[in-house]
Amino acid sequence: MISLIKYEFIRKYKLVSMILITILALNLLLLTKGAGGSMLFLVVSLSALFVFYLVDIIKMYSDDLNKKTGYMLFMTPNSGYKIIWAKLLAAIIEGAGLVLIYFIFILINGAYIVVSMGDQIDYSQIVRGVNQLLSGTFGFNLGHVLVLLIAVLAFLIAFITTVYTAMTIRKSIFSEIKFGGLFSFIIFLLINWLLSLVSDKFHDIMTPYYDSINAVSNAGNISAGGLALILLPIISVFIIQAIVLTGFSGYLLEKKINL
Amino acid sequence: MSRLIINELTKKYYNKIALRNVSLNFEQGKIYGLLGPNGSGKTTLMKVVAGLHKQTSGHVLINDQVLSYKTKSYVSYMPTENYLYSSFKVVDILKFYKDMYKDFRYDYALNLLNDINVKLDYKVSNLSSGETAKLKTVIALSRDTDIYLLDEPLNGVDVLARDTIMDIIAKSYGENKIIIISTHLVSEIEKVLDTVVFLKEGAVELFFDAEELRQERQMSVEGIYKEVFGND
Amino acid sequence: MEFNNNIPIYLQVIDKIKQDIVSGKLKPGDKMPSSREYSYELGINFNTVARVYKELENEQILFTKRGLGTYITESREQIEDLRYRMAKNLIVSFIEGMKQLGYSKKDMIKFIEIENNNIERIE
Repeated sequence: MISLIKYEFIRKYKLVSMILITILALNLLLLTKGAGGSMLFLVVSLSALFVFYLVDIIKMYSDDLNKKTGYMLFMTPNSGYKIIWAKLLAAIIEGAGLVLIYFIFILINGAYIVVSMGDQIDYSQIVRGVNQLLSGTFGFNLGHVLVLLIAVLAFLIAFITTVYTAMTIRKSIFSEIKFGGLFSFIIFLLINWLLSLVSDKFHDIMTPYYDSINAVSNAGNISAGGLALILLPIISVFIIQAIVLTGFSGYLLEKKINL
Repeated sequence: MSRLIINELTKKYYNKIALRNVSLNFEQGKIYGLLGPNGSGKTTLMKVVAGLHKQTSGHVLINDQVLSYKTKSYVSYMPTENYLYSSFKVVDILKFYKDMYKDFRYDYALNLLNDINVKLDYKVSNLSSGETAKLKTVIALSRDTDIYLLDEPLNGVDVLARDTIMDIIAKSYGENKIIIISTHLVSEIEKVLDTVVFLKEGAVELFFDAEELRQERQMSVEGIYKEVFGND
Repeated sequence: MEFNNNIPIYLQVIDKIKQDIVSGKLKPGDKMPSSREYSYELGINFNTVARVYKELENEQILFTKRGLGTYITESREQIEDLRYRMAKNLIVSFIEGMKQLGYSKKDMIKFIEIENNNIERIE
């Protein structure tokens, strides 16, 4: 398993390094434009990282399924389950790494904004400083941001596993259909539709839980912890979805694959 | 003891039947030639045994075990296509194999590649077609396992490199090993073959000891191939 | 060694070894390479070489010393006998061939004498 994950990263390290260097350069460039530049950077880099992550994760699996280089992986004596779990874990690690890097960029740029607005900043208290800025200006703190980012990551993982499952279904059961990409997309939409049916049911069941939370927190002023509680069910759904779909993909890879 | 048993193997695609009820028994200590023109099912057969394709019906027993991811460790398959990660250096490919396969003989591969002038720090994408073919063959034969499937090892390879590759194949003979070479360049390899299998349009046309064929038909295997398949 | 793929290879190897023994290239008691080495040398299948050795052992032209390898017979009689048999085969096919061409015994012998003289003159 470790070897599989290791090679996932070896195969992409050049690309990832290039992206990070580009983003760093962009940051330096936009810093020269003052606080506004910093904020612009945070928005732009988030979108860029988001898009890059999705494209990279999807491409890594698509290449293995559709290109001849996939033989390298699929000739190894690893079960389909191991292969897909390794891919998922690599995706999680990469995602967490990017979240962390983005978080650091937030801290750096946040500190820069504080400084550029004339306030002093104690670098050992940088986290608190940025927190105060955010709470003052926007009404939330880094805790909220972190919870949100985790929720986004959970969503992305669930999303990716849905894409992976669609691609696996197409490459195993429907391996002879032309326009595979289009077909994968259609299967992807179908899976999403099915999942939305399930999650609607789930949220109906969860209404008492939401009611109980509302009773506890003040309207319009939720702590980071409160936010975490609110998002917990949906994060759990994402995680369960990821696990179930990955298990199914593993089964298909093991029993039905036709490269 | 190495054994490969293929029983009534059929592989159907939407618009064609690649393998029809193929039944074959491969014994250890022999080098087999899987011969037939393009599209006769040779590659499909190998890919099923290597676990890359799933058969439509029939079974394959590798060392008396049903096909699964575990049997992949008994099979070393050399695809005819360019399947190596192109951004990797030659030595990185060797490391990959060492990490993924317990039976990979890393030093053996390293020394052999040096002997045949394949530069270890070249990227795969920068190798000539002859060097790529040599590399693929060396990697497949550097695994110390039971069954070797070499799919068209001489394809697109110049004459000198062919000799080198044939040499490496011949030296890989082992009493406990099954080596199966598929090709349509029969004259090049027939001296090295024990048994020849002719595959015609997905079915077994012939399964015979090469020397017996020569004795009976007073003809080379290539001559018989031309008779069976017409001029390829 | 070049091979003719139209005839069983093992027969060609057997012939070559016999020729080499009779011509003196291979001396009585010489050690033959192992089956594996010999198959590399000739570029042919291992089992073919194994068969060659086995057949020559049956003819008592080669013999195996357990654990040491395969050797050419040391028996001069064996070698002489081999030489005789090979020569006889040549003569028999010569006579049959010449008969087919319509030569009488007298003419065959005359022809041999003439051609032999020619060859010796060139040498």
